[in-house]
Amino acid sequence: MQEQIKLNFEKFLNESSFSNSQKEFKEENFNKFFTKGFPNKRIEDWKFSDLNQIISSNFKDFDFSNKETDSNFEEILVNNFEHNKIIFINGKLDKTDFSYENEEQIFVEKKDLLDDKSDNNVLLNLNTAFLINYTKLVVKKNYQFKKPLIIYNYLTDSLDQSCLNMRLDIDLEENASLNIINISNDNTKNNFINFRQQINIGNNSILKSYSLDAKQSSNFKYSFNDINLAKNSHLEYFVLSKGSKFNKQDINCSLNDEYGSAVINGIIDLDDQKHHEIKTIINHNEENCKSYQLIKSVLNDNSKGIYQGKIYVNSKAQKTDGYQLSRALLLNDNVEFNAKPELEIYADDVKCSHGSTSGNIDENSIFYLMSRGLSYDQSKKLLTNGFLNEVVEKITNEDVKNLVKEFTGIQE
Amino acid sequence: MLNIENLKAKIEDKEILKGLNLNINPGEVHAIMGPNGSGKSTLSNILSGKKGYEINGNVSFEGENLLDLETEERAHKGIFLAFQYPLEIPGVNTNTFLKTSINAIKKARGEKELDALEFLKLIKQKSAELKFDEKILSRQLNVGFSGGEKKKNEILQMSILNPKLSILDETDSGLDIDALRIVSEGVNSLRSKENSFLIITHYQRLLDYIKPDFVHVLKNGQIIKSGDYELAKELEKIGYEDFN
Repeated sequence: MQEQIKLNFEKFLNESSFSNSQKEFKEENFNKFFTKGFPNKRIEDWKFSDLNQIISSNFKDFDFSNKETDSNFEEILVNNFEHNKIIFINGKLDKTDFSYENEEQIFVEKKDLLDDKSDNNVLLNLNTAFLINYTKLVVKKNYQFKKPLIIYNYLTDSLDQSCLNMRLDIDLEENASLNIINISNDNTKNNFINFRQQINIGNNSILKSYSLDAKQSSNFKYSFNDINLAKNSHLEYFVLSKGSKFNKQDINCSLNDEYGSAVINGIIDLDDQKHHEIKTIINHNEENCKSYQLIKSVLNDNSKGIYQGKIYVNSKAQKTDGYQLSRALLLNDNVEFNAKPELEIYADDVKCSHGSTSGNIDENSIFYLMSRGLSYDQSKKLLTNGFLNEVVEKITNEDVKNLVKEFTGIQE
Repeated sequence: MLNIENLKAKIEDKEILKGLNLNINPGEVHAIMGPNGSGKSTLSNILSGKKGYEINGNVSFEGENLLDLETEERAHKGIFLAFQYPLEIPGVNTNTFLKTSINAIKKARGEKELDALEFLKLIKQKSAELKFDEKILSRQLNVGFSGGEKKKNEILQMSILNPKLSILDETDSGLDIDALRIVSEGVNSLRSKENSFLIITHYQRLLDYIKPDFVHVLKNGQIIKSGDYELAKELEKIGYEDFN
């Protein structure tokens, strides 16, 4: 597999029009990936998700070739509410539509890659090595989006056994606000999708970001989200982790100046043989910042769910509030749930807590509901929906809340 | 309507009911009184189909073998249990639950399900009758409800579902006088020639508000004496221990 990827990389580089310095940078990144390979369970961050094993048992070769991008993506468009659009087809920026906004206040551009240093994450190295360009969205100072922005990741049917590397950077300048929703169609075959997101939230700015992996698919996904918050800024982040065969989301969030706040909530809702992980690191780097995390998981059939959450409090970050809670509902004996909550605190005037529970469905509650005429399945559905609804209700954008209720089958 | 013959029940080798007989006809109100641990709650659980008991004996409801029916089928046939400790169901809106419940029962009976408007009308009328604050119904089911609110919610459910046989398991425990009166009025308003009640209680007090036709004393897994309302008064005087 590694050798085959190397041949692909060499071909990719030869056919490209990169400058020499770009080529060098890509080679440097590729070599980092090549030396270490896909992460396995001996790497602490991957101890519950052995990606090397998962890749080798599901892929023979990776296809890195470019696929046609003409397709009928209209079918996945959300009709429930008015919104702006950025459409990616097979990882390439296809179309933007900001017709509800003042377009002078928004910049979307394709950028060549020239970071100053390469990362210590092999999947980011792989991403950088194969990336042709990336997309950068900038929201100018004092501009508040009127309607939400949906990022559609559309994959065509021709995509199979592909390794897709994508990157999106979002900069909110000062006093800006944006609601963003990530959706993919995912009615495709076996692919590995490696998605990177770099987000900067400027002073007094608000970003609400909703990542919805809802549609059933046999795709394998990794997404890395690096989010930086400036002074007095606010992040609301929500993950619905449900549809893909494998999904790992790394969310690294840094509160870099005073009075920043981050709310990160998530739902892992799995059936079949699915394997999903949410891993968060919240860095409290300055005083008076707050972070809240609530992750709820419902596991059915033979699925596996993981939550690894770390709160780091720098010695400068006095008066920090950092809370984290994971609750899991295990619907039978064949499922597996792992939680690894961590607090690393170097300041002395902080309020931090973490908690993790997992348990079976409460048979007394089932009996109560059945005594009111509901069947066993109806009762179980009502209880699991109720369990998840607590997280859904924390979504502050009503349109998104309703969309998530639709995707999860939680009815009102 | 309900016929219990020689009902025995064990849970984990512990015998709780030791040959209980009881006959309830349409329109009758029966009260069962007994000390802690006499098997009162076990009886109500078994009648509603709670799992985990080893059961012997016969229980028929309108001629049908009740013990063969699942919990929800018993609800469809018109059996209702007002819980001693109503469960808190986080994340589930009370209104949503009530609507799901009544429509599940209607569907099983082959009746037309209520639409949103019909349901709202029914809820408005019933909560007004029971002096039940409608705002509570938009909250999560029983979550953060006071003891009284939980019990009133049980009676509201009962009055919406209009069951043939209502079993009230210590519904009076933990209620203040005003709530007790409201709950009792709710029960009394449902009394009819068709509807029967089985009221399980420790105290005579509730029976001052809901006058039963029959009073039974349950002790050590058996009904040791049956009589009318006067029996409850006698029991209150003597106490359970010396009552034989």
